[in-house]
Amino acid sequence: MTTPPRFFHGTVTALENVALARGTYRLRLASSELARAIAPGQFVMLRFPDRLDPLLGRAFALMDTVRDEHGQPHAIDIGYYVVGKMTRLLERLRPGDRLSVWGPLGKPFPRYDGVRELVLIAGGIGQTPFLALAQRALGLVGYSNQPARRECEQVRLVYGTRTADLLASVEDFQRLGVVVHICTEDGSAGYAGLVTDLLAELPRPQRGDYWVACGPMPMLRAVAKLAQDWQVPCHVSLESPMACGTGICYSCVTPVRSLDGWDYARVCLDGPIFDACQIAWDKI
Amino acid sequence: MDLSVQIGSVRLRNPILVASGTFGYGREMADIVQFSQLGGIIPKTITLEPRAGNALPRSVETPCGMLNAIGLDNDGLAHFLEYHLPYLRTLPTALIVNIAGKSAAEFAELAQRLSEQPGITALELNLSCPNVAGGLDFATDPRLTFQVVEQVKRVCRLPVWAKLTPNVTDIVPIARAAVDAGADALSLVNTFVGMAVDWRRRRPILANVTGGLSGPAIKPLALRFVWQVARAVPVPILGIGGITTLDDVLEFLVAGASAVQVGTANFFDPTVTMRLVAGLPEALASLGAQSVQEIVGSLQA
Ligand SMILES: Cc1cc2nc3c(=O)[nH]c(=O)nc-3n(C[C@H](O)[C@H](O)[C@H](O)COP(=O)(O)OP(=O)(O)OC[C@H]3O[C@@H](n4cnc5c(N)ncnc54)[C@H](O)[C@@H]3O)c2cc1C
Ligand SMILES: Cc1cc2nc3c(=O)[nH]c(=O)nc-3n(C[C@H](O)[C@H](O)[C@H](O)COP(=O)(O)O)c2cc1C
Ligand code: FES
Repeated sequence: MTTPPRFFHGTVTALENVALARGTYRLRLASSELARAIAPGQFVMLRFPDRLDPLLGRAFALMDTVRDEHGQPHAIDIGYYVVGKMTRLLERLRPGDRLSVWGPLGKPFPRYDGVRELVLIAGGIGQTPFLALAQRALGLVGYSNQPARRECEQVRLVYGTRTADLLASVEDFQRLGVVVHICTEDGSAGYAGLVTDLLAELPRPQRGDYWVACGPMPMLRAVAKLAQDWQVPCHVSLESPMACGTGICYSCVTPVRSLDGWDYARVCLDGPIFDACQIAWDKI
Repeated sequence: MDLSVQIGSVRLRNPILVASGTFGYGREMADIVQFSQLGGIIPKTITLEPRAGNALPRSVETPCGMLNAIGLDNDGLAHFLEYHLPYLRTLPTALIVNIAGKSAAEFAELAQRLSEQPGITALELNLSCPNVAGGLDFATDPRLTFQVVEQVKRVCRLPVWAKLTPNVTDIVPIARAAVDAGADALSLVNTFVGMAVDWRRRRPILANVTGGLSGPAIKPLALRFVWQVARAVPVPILGIGGITTLDDVLEFLVAGASAVQVGTANFFDPTVTMRLVAGLPEALASLGAQSVQEIVGSLQA
């Protein structure tokens, strides 16, 4: 297999755009270049090629790569939740429609080799990067031209949404053998409360466990605090608003600790995944 | 087809450059564009001392454009000399270093220290950043503009391009002041001061309250400045403002720009410059032209 190109920018075809939950969709885009190159944790930028409004691309995490009948990656899935200008247009997308896409962007999740239990903590649409990560960490799928290789003993998903009808892809995780814990803010499914409340109810983390969190900022902050209190190593995947995704606009910066205090780091280039201890939470 | 253009003493391969602050320091784009295809690179503005930049959010999309208030986030001259310049000077394209000072003396110090460095094609003076409190907006005043350009020219052997702000009542006296002080070219324009409001929270969207508008929304405004100044001064002009398509490039050239800088389009169309360069010969041929130079300022108005 030839090594995939490091960067792809082009107009691609939508193959599917299917509902996963209320206002939540999985969009499949045909691109063998992207599908071969991208790894869990990385993202792509999407834009409507013939529109100047919305003007800027929007970042979407890799949900999974899709293989053809010969086992070759030929498409990528992203998952989105309808909130604004771009996602309202995405919702109307039909198979055959064209989108401009560039990536892969950002750094992938590092390998979780030797980890006992990998705990994936997701708030709302923040679950999108975790399906691919779970498959990689369990050694079920290889990404970015790498062979499949198991990294950790087991994977647990702690996943919260506001209400039951926003829960997406739960069976997909269960099918992989991931232990899934659900919570909703209104108690309409699973535990009633926030993911951090639920985490506090679960057995205490053990040596060799690793947390990875993706979701809204207040959730990430609370998870990072809990991880620090319990001394579990923790990664957070940030979603700062982006204008370019390629590191050239300095819009997406987040404060990170440095030798002499703190400095801004570009989330699109240095992230989106950071060690929770690296973030200068008091500066956000 | 001759795509080369002459900007004072500088000859550029073609008239498609990338604008300061919209292309990082080049290395970010190494896997995305072929530098050898570009007319030139203008890295993000550098200042004497490091600056953290403005608080967040720093940018927001607006209809067909965006507002930004990055606030000259950069690691300062020393880091530029040590880390960015050694890389930038190896790239197979012209390198125009963009600087901003808090005073004419600081501009001159930056210019002098850069002037000692090999591998720099020209300097661009950011006389016009609208997002920095404390009077970095020299180009709203002809006298201050003159002072800065003159002091820079006195200590610097490199060609000097003065980048002006459109946030003025009459740009022509400012453009003339820059030229009188020795500017070798003018870069027109920087962003237009604007604002975005979240009425539900009754808050400005940008932490800085106001920001600079860029992107396709400003193209007609920028074209007017280029056309107006091109008729008033004898030096070459670099047209900037919303350039996204080949039509946009040709409009600026015909209106009087000798070359153009692509800005915000790099954000939403990362390979745009490659397509603009590739399509230029055919566009020129459709006008019956054999070179870029012959269509510059050919507008009949
Ligand atoms: C690395 C990264 C990965 C992402 N992955 C996904 C994903 O997998 N699925 C998904 O649905 N979305 C994801 N996003 C968010 C996505 O990029 C868009 O911001 C989001 O879809 C809204 O776009 P829109 O045009 O519909 O809304 P807009 O009209 O742009 O905005 C609607 C509202 O949301 C706010 N908003 C926009 N972007 C953000 C943001 N990033 N953080 C907080 N508030 C914001 C706006 O201020 C506005 O109030 C990701 C963002 C990043 C940076
Ligand atoms: C995010 C952003 C950052 C910018 N930073 C700088 C800068 O550091 N120095 C500068 O001279 N101009 C800066 N500019 C202005 C651009 O170089 C350009 O003049 C302006 O954006 C208009 O062109 P455009 O519409 O093609 O973007 C910046 C523009 C944007 C959008
Ligand atoms: S989104 Fe532009 S620098 Fe990160």
